[in-house]
Amino acid sequence: MTIRSKFALFAGSSSYILLHKILHRGGTSLPGKIAYRIDPTFLEEFRDQIETVIVSGTNGKTLATALCARVLKKTNRVVVTNNSGSNMIQGIVAALLSQKDKIKKSIRHGTIPIAVLEVDEANVKEVAKILQPTHFVLTNIFRDQMDRYGEIYTTYEKITDGIKTAPKAKVVANGDSPIFARKPYKNQAVYFGFTHKKSAGDLRAPNNTDGVLAPTNDQVLHYHYLTYANLGDYFTKDGSFKRPQLKYSVNKINSLTPSKSEFEIAGNKFTLPLGGLYNIYNALAAYSLGREFQISAEDIFNALNEDSRIFGRQEQLTIGSHLVTIVLIKNPVGANSVIDMMMTDPEEFSLVTLLNANYADGIDTSWIFDAEFEKLHQTALKKIIVGGQRYKDFSVRLKMAGFKNQIVEQDFAKLIDRIKGLPTKNVYVAATYTSMLMFREELAKAGLAKESF
Amino acid sequence: MENYQLRIAHLYGDLMNTYGDYGNVIAIKYYAKQIQVETDYHLISLGDSFKADDYDFVLFGGGQDYEESVTAKDLPSKSDEIKKYIENNGSLVAVCGGFQLLGTTMEFANGKIINGIGAMSHHTVNLNSSELFDNMRGKRLIGNIQIKNNESGETYHGFENHQGRTFLGKGEKALGTVVSGNGNNGDDKTEGVIYKQVYGTYFHGPILTRNGNLAKRILKNALLKRYPDIDWQAKLDGIPTESF
Ligand SMILES: [Zn+2]
Repeated sequence: MTIRSKFALFAGSSSYILLHKILHRGGTSLPGKIAYRIDPTFLEEFRDQIETVIVSGTNGKTLATALCARVLKKTNRVVVTNNSGSNMIQGIVAALLSQKDKIKKSIRHGTIPIAVLEVDEANVKEVAKILQPTHFVLTNIFRDQMDRYGEIYTTYEKITDGIKTAPKAKVVANGDSPIFARKPYKNQAVYFGFTHKKSAGDLRAPNNTDGVLAPTNDQVLHYHYLTYANLGDYFTKDGSFKRPQLKYSVNKINSLTPSKSEFEIAGNKFTLPLGGLYNIYNALAAYSLGREFQISAEDIFNALNEDSRIFGRQEQLTIGSHLVTIVLIKNPVGANSVIDMMMTDPEEFSLVTLLNANYADGIDTSWIFDAEFEKLHQTALKKIIVGGQRYKDFSVRLKMAGFKNQIVEQDFAKLIDRIKGLPTKNVYVAATYTSMLMFREELAKAGLAKESF
Repeated sequence: MENYQLRIAHLYGDLMNTYGDYGNVIAIKYYAKQIQVETDYHLISLGDSFKADDYDFVLFGGGQDYEESVTAKDLPSKSDEIKKYIENNGSLVAVCGGFQLLGTTMEFANGKIINGIGAMSHHTVNLNSSELFDNMRGKRLIGNIQIKNNESGETYHGFENHQGRTFLGKGEKALGTVVSGNGNNGDDKTEGVIYKQVYGTYFHGPILTRNGNLAKRILKNALLKRYPDIDWQAKLDGIPTESF
């Protein structure tokens, strides 16, 4: 059976979404793909109808996009956006097509809508060239599964090639990420970052961190302080390369828990209903973009504090007496961020890891050895369940991290009962993409969650 | 009870650290700990000195092209001691870029050729090389791989991901014969290298986490060199072997 006829068979059923996402790595939308094939200039029609903001980077761009869209609504203009499943060009066409009426209506009322688009790194050039965005928001570039685009510098080139095609656009970049300052931009650029710590002197990134060479002298970067991975206030001894001047910064972190982050930007207190330092970067990106759109700090505060769990990357549900937080993991930096988040949990908790190695997960599982599960010894972790099609990999990884006492559960259908039997109220499920879909299918069967998200 | 210690050097561990290569250190520590051997980890990077006699196990991992070229420039300052370490039967695991740089030359995807330290005789060409069969040219070699070690008959599992194609030279034998996957170059069915106590490979996975029998053998040899009077084999036989 061809993929096309499979789609025909499954179209309309809920499995369609599941199969679709598995086959396309949460990627394209079929209607959009057809439209793009029929009329490649389709996207061009939108160029003068919308003001475009492109959000790109390897980790966290879905949340950054959602927060940017939310903030820009405070302009009182119509804001359209795409979801994470459609960040390639076909998907973007589909997303815009499906909101065409909304766009037209806004234009009739005399305002150009804003399109906040999450764009896959490799698609930035094509999309930017056609839509001529006014802003690029750059979150970070970390090593992703290498069966995708390869090296972080290749990813960086793909993004900067895109930026070059829109010379009038402003770059709003993460200044704590050394890669975004490798070369000067011809475009106007502003940077955001963290200034919450005093200089701790002369630090290095952890040994197993990527992207720590200075382009000016090929020496390993030094840091006054680090936030996570290779992000922080970096410099070289010879002064040839250092963190650029930050226009916007998080200057205080008041509290971090797995479900809430409290911090300050320019004296304004923010509460984000999400754990993890990396999510604060996403909020800061949205804040920075909002300020560039002349939105007041107060309006941005209101936009970011409106509670919602639209953030598919971290969601909570109740299974029996357990509060279960589901997080997606796909690469070492992402996994380390989740580990850091669990470290902010003062209570006892259990961990469920679900590893698959289908295309959408990344077919190479070796990255799990780059994440620092050893750090979990500093937490109140009580019990571990390892599952997924590649449960053995994770079981050995955690055994080698010193966690001998594991429940191994290969069968997705038995996971819910296993979770019900866990000794702690808090449970974290860290899953790769398709294993998360398979787990969610079980949740849906048990009436615990909707199948699609 | 006497205190046994294994001194680990991770060559360029802050630059040559892709695809979980650090996991090889994790695996060595894991088995060492179970036989009451303490491990002492040292990162040896740009500008640091490496002394052959200071270490019992060395890991030299793979990196991105940029990091590998910067590493290659620093290597001559350490190459004499690395050669001495190898010739003195020091245990070393070299993965991907590290494996390439121990040889004579290596070629990046863009055609740039750089010198390895020539501690061993293999050389590496790029994916477009005329040394390759036509059908093997132009593609990265990515995917699951299985090989069989010809002496022990052991099967090793891993994941390969490389553009470089390595051809073994004089005095070198393969780590194994390819059962499925591509191996050193996709042509001659060899995968990796064994030279003295050097084990080179394109396996990620990482190799010592997935192939406990190989991890144990390398650990045993490293310990025997330092503590020849102990029956390390018996100790290692007494603990479980992770293999998947
Ligand atoms: Zn490799």
